[in-house]
Amino acid sequence: MLGDYATIGIFLLLTILFPLAALGLAWVVRPKPLPDEEKLTTYECGVDTQGRTWVRFRVNYFLYALVFLAFDIETIFLFPWAVRFKALGLFAFVEMLVFIAILLTGLWYAWKEGALEWY
Amino acid sequence: MQNVLSLSWVIPFLPFLAFALIGLFLHRWPKISAALSILSIGVGLILSILISMIVFAGEAGFTYEVAVRWLNMPGLSVDMGLLIDPLTAVMLLVVTIVALLVQVYSLGYMHDDPGFASYYAYQSIFAGSMLGLVVANNFGQIFVFWELVGLSSYLLIGFWFGRNSAKDAAKKAFITNRIGDFGFLLGILFLQIIFGTLNYSELAGAVAGYGNTAILITVSLLLFAGPVGKSAQFPLHVWLPDAMEGPTPVSALIHAATMVAAGVYLIARAFFIFNASPETMLVIAIIGGFTALFAASIALVQNDIKRILAYSTLSQLGYMVMAMGVGAMAAGMFHLMTHAFFKSLLFLAAGSVIHALANEQDIWKMGNLHKKMPITTWTFVIGALALSGIPPLSGFWSKDEILLSALASGHTALYILGSLVAFMTAFYMFRLIFVAFFGDNKGGEQAHESPAVMTVPLIILAVLAVVAGLVGSPLMNNAFDHYITYPGAFHPAPNHSIMIISSLLAIAGIFLAWAIYQKKWVDFERIKIKMGGLYQLLYHKYYIDEIYAWLIKHFVDGTARLMEWFDLKVINGAVNGIAWLTGHLGITLRYTEDGQVQSYALYMYAGIIILLIAALCAVFTVLA
Amino acid sequence: MNYSLLAPEILATAVGMLVLILGLIFKDRARQSVGIISLLSLVAVLILVILRFTDTQVFFNGIYQVDTYANFFKALFALAAVLVILNSSQYMERFGNKKSEFYALMMFATVGMMVMASAGDLLTIYIGLELMTVSFYILTAYLLEDETSSEAGLKYLILGAISSAVLLFGMSLVFALSGTTVITQIAGQISREPALIAGVILIAAGFAFKIAAVPFHMWAPDIYQGAPTPITTYLAVGSKAAGFAALLRIFIFAIPLTQFNWSLVLAILAALTMVVGNLIALTQTNVKRMLAYSSIAQAGYILAGLAAANQYGLKGVLFYAMLYVFSNTGAFAVATAVEVNTGSTDRDAFNALGQRSPMLAAVMTICLLSLAGIPPMAGFAGKFYLFSGAIQAGYLWLAFIGLLMSMISVYYYLLVAKAMYIGSNPQTGAMTVKAPARLALWVCLLATILIGVYPALLSNWAQTAISIFM
Repeated sequence: MLGDYATIGIFLLLTILFPLAALGLAWVVRPKPLPDEEKLTTYECGVDTQGRTWVRFRVNYFLYALVFLAFDIETIFLFPWAVRFKALGLFAFVEMLVFIAILLTGLWYAWKEGALEWY
Repeated sequence: MQNVLSLSWVIPFLPFLAFALIGLFLHRWPKISAALSILSIGVGLILSILISMIVFAGEAGFTYEVAVRWLNMPGLSVDMGLLIDPLTAVMLLVVTIVALLVQVYSLGYMHDDPGFASYYAYQSIFAGSMLGLVVANNFGQIFVFWELVGLSSYLLIGFWFGRNSAKDAAKKAFITNRIGDFGFLLGILFLQIIFGTLNYSELAGAVAGYGNTAILITVSLLLFAGPVGKSAQFPLHVWLPDAMEGPTPVSALIHAATMVAAGVYLIARAFFIFNASPETMLVIAIIGGFTALFAASIALVQNDIKRILAYSTLSQLGYMVMAMGVGAMAAGMFHLMTHAFFKSLLFLAAGSVIHALANEQDIWKMGNLHKKMPITTWTFVIGALALSGIPPLSGFWSKDEILLSALASGHTALYILGSLVAFMTAFYMFRLIFVAFFGDNKGGEQAHESPAVMTVPLIILAVLAVVAGLVGSPLMNNAFDHYITYPGAFHPAPNHSIMIISSLLAIAGIFLAWAIYQKKWVDFERIKIKMGGLYQLLYHKYYIDEIYAWLIKHFVDGTARLMEWFDLKVINGAVNGIAWLTGHLGITLRYTEDGQVQSYALYMYAGIIILLIAALCAVFTVLA
Repeated sequence: MNYSLLAPEILATAVGMLVLILGLIFKDRARQSVGIISLLSLVAVLILVILRFTDTQVFFNGIYQVDTYANFFKALFALAAVLVILNSSQYMERFGNKKSEFYALMMFATVGMMVMASAGDLLTIYIGLELMTVSFYILTAYLLEDETSSEAGLKYLILGAISSAVLLFGMSLVFALSGTTVITQIAGQISREPALIAGVILIAAGFAFKIAAVPFHMWAPDIYQGAPTPITTYLAVGSKAAGFAALLRIFIFAIPLTQFNWSLVLAILAALTMVVGNLIALTQTNVKRMLAYSSIAQAGYILAGLAAANQYGLKGVLFYAMLYVFSNTGAFAVATAVEVNTGSTDRDAFNALGQRSPMLAAVMTICLLSLAGIPPMAGFAGKFYLFSGAIQAGYLWLAFIGLLMSMISVYYYLLVAKAMYIGSNPQTGAMTVKAPARLALWVCLLATILIGVYPALLSNWAQTAISIFM
């Protein structure tokens, strides 16, 4: 059994050594000019950055995402239940109704509180 | 009817409840506080009467015991329980009757005191603790309530804490009692260690079959230390006279009738332990007898009305303890009961006088009170007659029983001593009466009779002081002895010659007092000068307080100074060092909490990794 | 299956949603009623649980267990929630117009805790834990205008997510080795091997975060201080007890001590927690923060009982968790009152409280003495059980550290008492305390004394609850 853990140990060692080796090799072979202004700019695809990188996003993005996520997960639960609908029977049906009702309450709340409006 | 017995826990509980309610809510309304306190003790009295009716309707050996397990673990289980038997019933009656009367009386005595509500709160906690002590069924519980009565006594002695003397007296009482209680607690711990139980009935069985006399003597003497402190026996008697600094009703209730009798009650309750070692019994008898004589001799020359009564209380407590020591438990308890009535009567009557004379306590500054305060005077006289042992008042029967037991059990010296004390008692009581109540000094001119709330309790107690003795008299077939009994306890047959001798001695004492202080056939100032040395010795209470003070100053303070040095230099150094270390560790650790989420997460992961590595290393070493 | 035994959970969930909906429909008028509805439903939950204390049932093949142990904790959570809601009456103005959500979240957090106590399956425990924790994330940040509250909420969210990840990783390792997530079945499927040890350590770390054991305690002071005080109370007494409830069930049932001596791990954590919590508490000048460190230390005492893993120790865990509800809620309730009246929880704000509001000062003193373990308060009896258990299990050193640290704790608890009774304050006049909060104070005071004077009642109850382990 301990042999299995030896594999893990070797992997652990490799994962530490490999990046070190790669970085070290790059350091050895790369040219080493003095840093200038061009070199110190943040790397972005072709365009220079404008202003600070820490900008605020609208909170509504998150609200949409959250509401979407809730119903996304709901479908994941609905699929297996739908597939085995007959076998699971009435109990599961009621359970699913309760589940959906809870989610709908959440949606109602989010709606009423204005989460779905775009200011 | 039997259900009343299961309600007996209510008797101590109600005063505690009253205490809590007054302390928490009602202290702004003194009248309601007083009413609640009196109500709680009144209900207690009614229940006590009902319980006594059941108990005394039953056989002599009637007992009712219930307990709830309060703490349970291997090797130690502590119960909170109730034990109702004739002994308990008598004590319940005595305590509730006297407490009720005293609380009613206090309505008049304390009416303009700013601390009226807290006075009743303290009275309630005292009543609750005293009743709890009485109904306890084991030593653990009795110790708790024993300490609580000590606490309430402390609070009440120091009730007028504005006075330095009251403060000091309260401290003195508390500290002196601690010495006795320390021995008592040691005794209780011994009992638990040796017998594994603190329950009275279980202990009674265990002690009966126990053969190691040396240990029995040690344990019983340690236990006796408790009564020596609480019942103010020599050499721990010094606190009781000073306790008179408290309000007079308090002196009547706590320092005459009930709490100080708790020691005697304890001896009676644990009689099986004391009775098992004759040596201890002898010690008890001698200490009791000595205290009786010693205190009576001091009382002969005191001038403060309350101090005379205080020394008389000491002397009578000595009587009771002596009775216990000669094996006459019933006689001791009987005297406890009668004494409770007539001594509280005497104190309350004295309080009435003090109240009327604007806190004057010197008997030489009183005089001719019988004209202005007839009820107080005559009830006081009845109390004094009962105390002196004039037939057929209650004190006669109980004192006689003690003298009889002392003689019949072969303690002739103690009998003679007791008779002598009886003579002295009569003398000093009537010295007080002839000087203060019938003397020709002008001090009593502005006196007035007290209000009815004060005189009615006096009258009731006077009636009790007259008749209470009958229950134990040969006239009623020694009914008291029949119930308050102990296997092998001592019940001698009545002896008429003893009765006659003691009565004659009492009358002789009264006559002598009358001759000296009323008729002035002999000039007492000349006696005072002639017997100067003895007089000074007595007047200064045998210089016991001074001796104690000297001992404390030289030995205790000396040791204390040594300890102080050790404490300051060695212990404090170490403690301060540790405290400094602890504090600085705290300050250092405090800076780990820097408010940065990143570092918090870092600590968490570091913790996990260290734990993981440690555990995995341990496991790999085991497996490999 | 007798589904009526699930009534407490169902009731609490339904009322939580009802309260939410009421808040939506009657925007302004439902303020008072939602509080009363939540309170009544929690009382109903409490009564239901106590009435059916000994009714047991295993649901869904062991995934959900209603037993005396779970019922004990459910009663505890309901009680704590009741006290917290009563106490939060003082705080309501500061919540603005978000009141029904507050009650709904309280209900959901309570449901989460109840699920944790009853869950017989690792994943169900996790779901309960997340329901509770997510509710707490929001509740912690509930004072929208208050920066420290928002900061606390964010910190709790981030660190809580990390700890959840750790916990889940541990659970997945155990699942990988045993092939089941049902707690009672795990024990038979595992053997002593490194991956299991890693799993157990990670699970322990995940729960150690919830109960704020050192070194996973770092979040607690900041969050306790920043959160609205009633929420701090519930975090300290409810969330912590829920962590213990689940941890105990997992470790006792799933991980036999013969496979891995987790008891030693917990003993070490307990010792660290007691030492660090008490030492840092010494230096605090803010009462709320002091109580936060004190609650870290208290978790250490409870962990000591868990490490003992014998009858005394486990009984002590339950006993202490329950008395802790009363003592700690009492102390926090007084802190709330002072905070609402003076705007500060610095120790100076407590100066002369003994003269200003004797009742508040008395409750604070009694509760702090209980936390310090001074007889005859409840805390003494609790510590007695915990440390006796530790000694019986052979952890004499742990009991010794516990006693030493209790002694140290007396110092900082009494500093508050000293401020209240000896300190002087230019401000005089009694503090206003709303009637519901006053009721909570009385309950805490009486229960703290009563449990201390007559511990047998609660102790028998705890004994019945842990009988499932024996």
